[in-house]
Amino acid sequence: MRDKLLHAPPDLDPFMGELPRLDDALSRRVNADPESLERGLAQLVLTIVELLRQLMERQALRRIDSGGLSDEQEERLGRTFMELDRRMAELREEFGLTKEDLNLDLGPLGRLL
Amino acid sequence: MIELYAITDNPGPPLPDLAALELVPVDGLAAVCAPAGEADVSADALWHHEEVVEALMADRDLLPVRYGTRLEDEHAVTRAVEERRDELAAALDRVRGAIEVSVRVLPSGDAGRAAVPDAAGGAEYLRQRADEQASQAGTVRAVSEPLAALARASTTSNPRPPELLRAAYLIERDAVEPFTAEVARLQRAHAELSILCTGPWPPYSFTER
Repeated sequence: MRDKLLHAPPDLDPFMGELPRLDDALSRRVNADPESLERGLAQLVLTIVELLRQLMERQALRRIDSGGLSDEQEERLGRTFMELDRRMAELREEFGLTKEDLNLDLGPLGRLL
Repeated sequence: MIELYAITDNPGPPLPDLAALELVPVDGLAAVCAPAGEADVSADALWHHEEVVEALMADRDLLPVRYGTRLEDEHAVTRAVEERRDELAAALDRVRGAIEVSVRVLPSGDAGRAAVPDAAGGAEYLRQRADEQASQAGTVRAVSEPLAALARASTTSNPRPPELLRAAYLIERDAVEPFTAEVARLQRAHAELSILCTGPWPPYSFTER
């Protein structure tokens, strides 16, 4: 592998997270032991929930921008999203998932989130 | 089966002495091919493909062909190139004299968003989210716009969280140094970011309009 670095940041490590992903992509196998199945299912479900949460949050931010909400509505909406955000963090922790795990690679369509 | 590596002008400089390469000429263009090896996909096979394309790139303009493109025989290659001859010739003109440089931007250290929300109330939480989105968009522009100004063309793809920007730039062969210098300047100006710049690559991101 020739050196392709034209400019490297002081800390390269964060960029290396992709290497295991490349290995996975090259040798993708379904691992069907019960524990990883459960985690895989949780990952899928939480990914969909996270997608909806982000979409709704963006929608809410747009409505606030356009001035369509009263202060009270804004506060209530914000609390709901904050609570959802907290619950998602707890669920991620429970299943040992990171934020990056809650994303699907849709091949040529890119990433879900 | 034969494997495709690139589409080039024909005639061109002699082929590098790699992988039993051969030319399949089609009306001013040529497909660079070689007998296909094992069908097993591996990182090594991928790097070998890249090595061949880059050896070709050293002394000619080309449209790189994606790894794993295989056709039955020379006739199939000729037909495939003939069908899109004008489109390919136009694409080759677009990348003539240029190479691709890739740029990825991550928040550095703990500059990313807190894992658990810490707002005091609902309205404050939403304001934090809005500020976050606006500041991310501003950061991305602060990096991508000056770089795009130095490039013949640029394109971005979906960043993968926590990535903020994933972009490719088509740069004149002799303008890589000023581009890299601009990346270094942006890095110095934005301690909150980690900027990774790699290349020169074959113009993979600019073969299609």
